Amino acid sequence: MPAVLTRLIAAEFRKLCTTRLWLWLLLVSAVWTAGYTALATALSGRPGGLTPALSGAAGQHALFAIGAGGAAPLAAILAAAGTAGEFRHRTAAATFLATPRRARVIAAKLTIYLLAGTGYGVACIAVGAAVALPWLSARGTPLSLATHGNLAVLGAVVISAALFGMTGAGLGALLGSEIITIAGLLLFLYVAEPLLSHISALSSWTLYLPGVAADGLTQASQAGVRLLPPWQGGLVLAGWAVVIAAAGTVLTVRRDIT
Amino acid sequence: MTARETGRITVSGLTKRFGRVTAVNGLSFTAAPGAVTGFLGPNGAGKTTTLRMLAGLVAPDAGAATISGHAYTRLASPGREAGVVLEAAGFHPARTGRDHLRVYCTASGYPLRRADEVLALTGLAAAGRRKARGYSLGMRQRLALAAALLGDPVALILDEPANGLDPEGIAWLRGLLRDFARSGRTVLYSSHVLPEVEQLADHVVIVSGGRLVRQGTLAELTGGRGGLEQVFLSLTARPVPGCPPC
Repeated sequence: MPAVLTRLIAAEFRKLCTTRLWLWLLLVSAVWTAGYTALATALSGRPGGLTPALSGAAGQHALFAIGAGGAAPLAAILAAAGTAGEFRHRTAAATFLATPRRARVIAAKLTIYLLAGTGYGVACIAVGAAVALPWLSARGTPLSLATHGNLAVLGAVVISAALFGMTGAGLGALLGSEIITIAGLLLFLYVAEPLLSHISALSSWTLYLPGVAADGLTQASQAGVRLLPPWQGGLVLAGWAVVIAAAGTVLTVRRDIT
Repeated sequence: MTARETGRITVSGLTKRFGRVTAVNGLSFTAAPGAVTGFLGPNGAGKTTTLRMLAGLVAPDAGAATISGHAYTRLASPGREAGVVLEAAGFHPARTGRDHLRVYCTASGYPLRRADEVLALTGLAAAGRRKARGYSLGMRQRLALAAALLGDPVALILDEPANGLDPEGIAWLRGLLRDFARSGRTVLYSSHVLPEVEQLADHVVIVSGGRLVRQGTLAELTGGRGGLEQVFLSLTARPVPGCPPC
């Protein structure tokens, strides 16, 4: 890796660590994951629960995929704040004065938020496991991270959170407004996508939407929603991340910083 | 790069349009090493846009702005060539002034101790570990200046650097800029405060409506015609008072 890019990644890491936002958002994602995992565990085995029976592979996969729901959106919000926030706080000028080759700055941001998403994914897996494993063990349904193909799901959770981090950074660079980026992300992921993806007449294309593709990657159980197989879901999500990042880079390079 | 070019700021035929408004219109001037050049003009004359084009933040529609013979965006080590202080510089409210500077030390490859050195130089040593949200306007100006000095540049480009400074701060800034120019480096700064410019500037560039009105030494501009204020007002007078150039 060229020395300049290493320096810029280190500078972005320093930006990330010198405010507390990463910690607050990580706490939110951990609480979400812990709460949802506890609910799924408590309701398991009852008719109408959140997951299939946790003694089987399908139930365990759905349980572990919950971590992606906690980690990915908050990694995207953190990343959006990290890129679009430079315009909100008017630090973009200082950043581009230090590094006039703006594409390099965006490349460093994409890298650091890909890594931040990875960290969020790993943290949420740990939180989910810490809630579910002792509980289920006490109930006589011992569960292992390493059996039933669970490791693949855990890997998918980390990849999903990492790609969401990268997508959030790209979207923040593209839109240049922190509030619009975060509001847009939340509306899209929690309103528009769930509405569209439950319309079965549209399912031939809604399964390529980023959030639905991410559910395909982790095989998060969503009754009535058609999902891509994991590897295809991962590729489609990566495609979204790359396209949005490229558009955000082009626009940032061309934008006047006034 | 020749010795003559080091730190020299050259603006030639610079033009920028925002929609139908031409903010800067074929502007040409130079700011030489070893001198303080005051950049004057009424509100909306295009000063800020010109300085932002010099700093590579706004892309010109025509013409060129160079520092040491190169566009800012093409400089190998921009922070070592030019330190830039923009109007209303921004800081993350939750980041300390010291951390702000350390971020840009890392980005530019300077040792982290430069952050403490420029904090001391700008009188912010005691405030460096406080979050920027608690800074006064004068402290923010000092922090912006500290960031501009990180790379120990050969030129300083400053947009209204005295804004928000108290009288003591203004005197301090005057001394700093004067010493900077005396060491053979370039200072280009915009200001509204004409008595301040009269005290400090060796050269003056006056713009109005995005065009050059006059440039020269302070003595050339004011020779036999009273103070800088009278000269400025007569040169930048508009046909209809209070009406923006249209």
